[in-house]
Amino acid sequence: MNLQLTLAVRYLAGRKLRTALTTLAIVFGVVLIFGMNTVMPTLIAALQANVQGAEGQADFTITNVAGDSFPADVTSRLQDIDGIRAFTASLERAVNLPADFVDNNPARPDRIMAVNLIGIIPEQARSIRAYPILEGRYLNDSDTAATVISQTLADAFSVKAGDSIRLPSISGLTELSVVGILPADIGPENESVLVTLPQAQKMTGESGNVNIIRVNVEAFADMARRTEIQGKIEAALGKNYRAGTLMAGEEMFGTMELAQIALSMFGALALFMGGFIIFNTFRTVVTERRRDIGMLRALGATRRTIIGAILTEGFLQGLLGSAIGLLFGYWMAFGVLKVAQGPLSAFVNIKLGTPIVEPGLVILSILLGVGVTVLAGLLPAWSASRVTPLEALRPTVTEVEFTRQTGRGFWAGMVILVLTVLAILSGQSTLILPGGILFLVGLVLVAPGLIRPFVSLFGRVVGFATVRQGIGGLAQSNLTRQPSRVAVTASTSLLGLAVIVAAGGLVTSMSGTLLDMLQDSLGSDYVYLPPSVGFWGSNVGAAPELAESLRAVPGVETVSTLRFASSQASGQVVSVLGIQPDEFQRVSGLVFVEGNKSAYEEIASEHALIANSVFMIGTGLKAVDTVELSTSDGQVQYRIAAVATDMLNAKINTVYISQDHLQTDFGNTEDVFIQIDLREGADREAAGAQIKALGENYPQFKVISGVDYYSTILAQFKAAFSALYILFAILAFPSLIAMLNTLTISVIERTREIGMIRAVGGTRRQIRNMVVAEALLLAAIGATFGILGGMYLGYVLVTAIDVIFPMGYSFPVSGIVAAIVIGLLFGVLAAIIPARQAARLEIIQALRYE
Amino acid sequence: MSIISAQNLTKIFGSGATAVTALDHVNLSVNPGEFVAIMGPSGCGKSTLLHLIGGLDRPSDGKVVIDGTSIAEMNDDRITELRRRKIGFVFQFFNLIPVLNAIENAALPITLDGVKPAEAQKKAAEWLTRFGLSSRLASRPDQLSGGEQQRVAIARALAAEPALILADEPTGNLDTRSGDEIAGLMRDVAKKYGRTVVMVTHDPRIAAYADRIVFLKDGKIVDETLLERNNDGGAAIVAQKIREIGD
Repeated sequence: MNLQLTLAVRYLAGRKLRTALTTLAIVFGVVLIFGMNTVMPTLIAALQANVQGAEGQADFTITNVAGDSFPADVTSRLQDIDGIRAFTASLERAVNLPADFVDNNPARPDRIMAVNLIGIIPEQARSIRAYPILEGRYLNDSDTAATVISQTLADAFSVKAGDSIRLPSISGLTELSVVGILPADIGPENESVLVTLPQAQKMTGESGNVNIIRVNVEAFADMARRTEIQGKIEAALGKNYRAGTLMAGEEMFGTMELAQIALSMFGALALFMGGFIIFNTFRTVVTERRRDIGMLRALGATRRTIIGAILTEGFLQGLLGSAIGLLFGYWMAFGVLKVAQGPLSAFVNIKLGTPIVEPGLVILSILLGVGVTVLAGLLPAWSASRVTPLEALRPTVTEVEFTRQTGRGFWAGMVILVLTVLAILSGQSTLILPGGILFLVGLVLVAPGLIRPFVSLFGRVVGFATVRQGIGGLAQSNLTRQPSRVAVTASTSLLGLAVIVAAGGLVTSMSGTLLDMLQDSLGSDYVYLPPSVGFWGSNVGAAPELAESLRAVPGVETVSTLRFASSQASGQVVSVLGIQPDEFQRVSGLVFVEGNKSAYEEIASEHALIANSVFMIGTGLKAVDTVELSTSDGQVQYRIAAVATDMLNAKINTVYISQDHLQTDFGNTEDVFIQIDLREGADREAAGAQIKALGENYPQFKVISGVDYYSTILAQFKAAFSALYILFAILAFPSLIAMLNTLTISVIERTREIGMIRAVGGTRRQIRNMVVAEALLLAAIGATFGILGGMYLGYVLVTAIDVIFPMGYSFPVSGIVAAIVIGLLFGVLAAIIPARQAARLEIIQALRYE
Repeated sequence: MSIISAQNLTKIFGSGATAVTALDHVNLSVNPGEFVAIMGPSGCGKSTLLHLIGGLDRPSDGKVVIDGTSIAEMNDDRITELRRRKIGFVFQFFNLIPVLNAIENAALPITLDGVKPAEAQKKAAEWLTRFGLSSRLASRPDQLSGGEQQRVAIARALAAEPALILADEPTGNLDTRSGDEIAGLMRDVAKKYGRTVVMVTHDPRIAAYADRIVFLKDGKIVDETLLERNNDGGAAIVAQKIREIGD
């Protein structure tokens, strides 16, 4: 084995605890990166399988580019295309079912929470795929309220051929007679409910429309021929249609991909912090081994050999850390998916299975883990190569930095800090946003120069607390003898704790704003709530008659409804929400980023829309622009009247138009969300009872009071914020490793000294307390830097989100308290092992230590 | 021709008011096969002289010629190569690599020179066996006594078959008996194995094993003594000389 590898392995094995601690830093980062990037693709793949399960055996699936429905007569354009053997049009909608709808048993967990309502032209559909009937018969073209369902669904509903089932529809519950039973569905998709096309159109209010055309091409067509036929289809249908894969559920994909990016960033940050820890360790290693390195140089080792030896050690640690990280990352992903299955099934019928591991991700994770470690070792390796042979001849002395720490780096850091503070005062987001990272960099640069004053400041507290023991001064001097090492440790804590404080700032600011927004958006007396709020396309709504009935209830002052259509604009999928501008303002409201409430009048009177910030950012449009929305009849131009947002739709591209225009341009009149306000002085009890009674025939809605809905959302926010805090707290974990590492190393370095203290009368308890005091000082410094950095970072985050979601900055008291508590707690935890080690040293052995 | 020729060698540490002249225009020649001891009080410059001869440090003035080559013009890589191939070092604190065992430590210079470990260790094993350590080849430094560690260090110094061995207080960290053993070994290295040995020591007893003793005081050579091998009172002669020179 070559010398550098031998030395690397032996040195790593010779200091097992330190090796374990430093490797842990890399493990942590790789676990997050690999684990999270495995969870998300698995989730997305399962969702896509759910969506694509509806594909059947067609060669092509034709849909509208916006995902919306379109007139059935579009199929006539396919008649004369050479190469098409058969085609069939259908109208398919996922119908979310309320809880316990199928089994009526609250005690049993729901297995079926949604079904696919599929309206087919029976004989035409059979030309594409077979429908083997187990019991009863297949559908006839003349059937009306009849259905064919799978054995699985029949068992769930406890029905057989000849019985009937009820499903939510826009006109309330619709009874369907079960005429036939198909075999049980195998696959992740929703259970199917087959009805005739006219029946489906009636139940969904999509008169004359379909949303999928399935096409089979001639037998034995090769790839080239299929591509040719696909081209002909698309040419015949025009640019509003595509032949390919279903892309329903875009909103959910969008959210998931956003989550994946956020979690990857966490992993990257954790890995970066790991790099700091590795850097610190290698610096110490080089110091500790100065004599060995000097000896190697005296014996004739070149500088390159020395660099190679240090980097080989880094490489091995990186490899080990990455390997362990991959293993734990897989287990983490496995665990997360298992835990997520339950809650996720509440939204969509999805089977998650085991994590999907992409070879590319494995390689990337290893490269990152090894890369960060080797990179962190570069400077220390170079420094090691500068060790002169004479070092071999000097007795081991703990390195003491007598030089002042206020060199060029310090002043550069001060300049950066001043500039970033000025950026905040300027109020310009273009200056504030990059300032976040620069502020942290500035803190890291000035840290070495501030160590001595900080230690002196906090040391007074420690000194006071330990006055009887006389170790306060020792603890202080232990830190001030190596300010640069302490600074690197503090910088690791800084990053972890800054994130906690920043999270606190974000959460405090958001909750204030969100709660106000919540009050505005959902402050109505009663709400008709669909199962999936925000994912409007998956809900079956109600025909306008329901809203009319609600308006007629005595005591009701305003009924405001939302209607939905899917469209495309500037290459982006967009949710088009139809509102009644007057009513909408009265019970709800948007928060305007550009423009004002006069936009409501504009959208009522002309082809104008109000767009949300996410849409504006995604399309790059300005508030004065016009935009073309895709409809089934072609493109329709709208003027952007204002930019505003509301809480329910903040995350996805959304535009608000009048319901009249939604009907004219998109043909939709289905209400998917209803808010009701009562008159002042109305009989609330009586009105409430009638409102709820009307809802009974529409089980696709949950009728809930505004107050209850507010409480539900509030509870969800609190849960989400707690989860966010926990996630950020996890990021502080590397700082624990950093402190533990530094303290352990410093105890080892001072073995002879500790032996001397014991020899002259210091007790084991005093030694232990000295290490703990050192740890607390270290933690206090890290927390101070972390709080400063976190406050700035929090301000930056709020400023960034303000662009999408207007909110004011609130001082992060909770975040600061959390950072102090976590920082000091980690300090104490980090001290346990080194303190015990130091206290247990045998005096004679310690004095002889080389 | 001398194997070592130090001409006008000067070394000044620090500058200005705090400058210290550790060596002051020293001239020294050592012939091949000689065993020379360098003695003097603490701070006289003896270790500095050794470091300059061995290329571990650069002189402020003057030059060192090793085996006919001046090391003054050599860059770091060439001096390093010189140390690897032509000079062997033995130090007071043994300076073995703690994570390598005896045979690996002894083989270090040749391994560093690119020789395959197996081959390098074969050569090292030969030296270790000569020094009575055949049963300790796989032992780590912390498993060896002081005397054993120093023998490993001497084997290491000889493994690359250098012409010159430089020893800096090789017995300084050993008890009397081990010290005598090592001093005897150093003499064997010179006389039996034909190397030139230059040893720094403060102990007259150890210095008495040498052929010639060079005395330094305040950075200058103040005296030299040749020792006759059949004179058992060598140590006493050396001690007397030291008293005459004074601290």
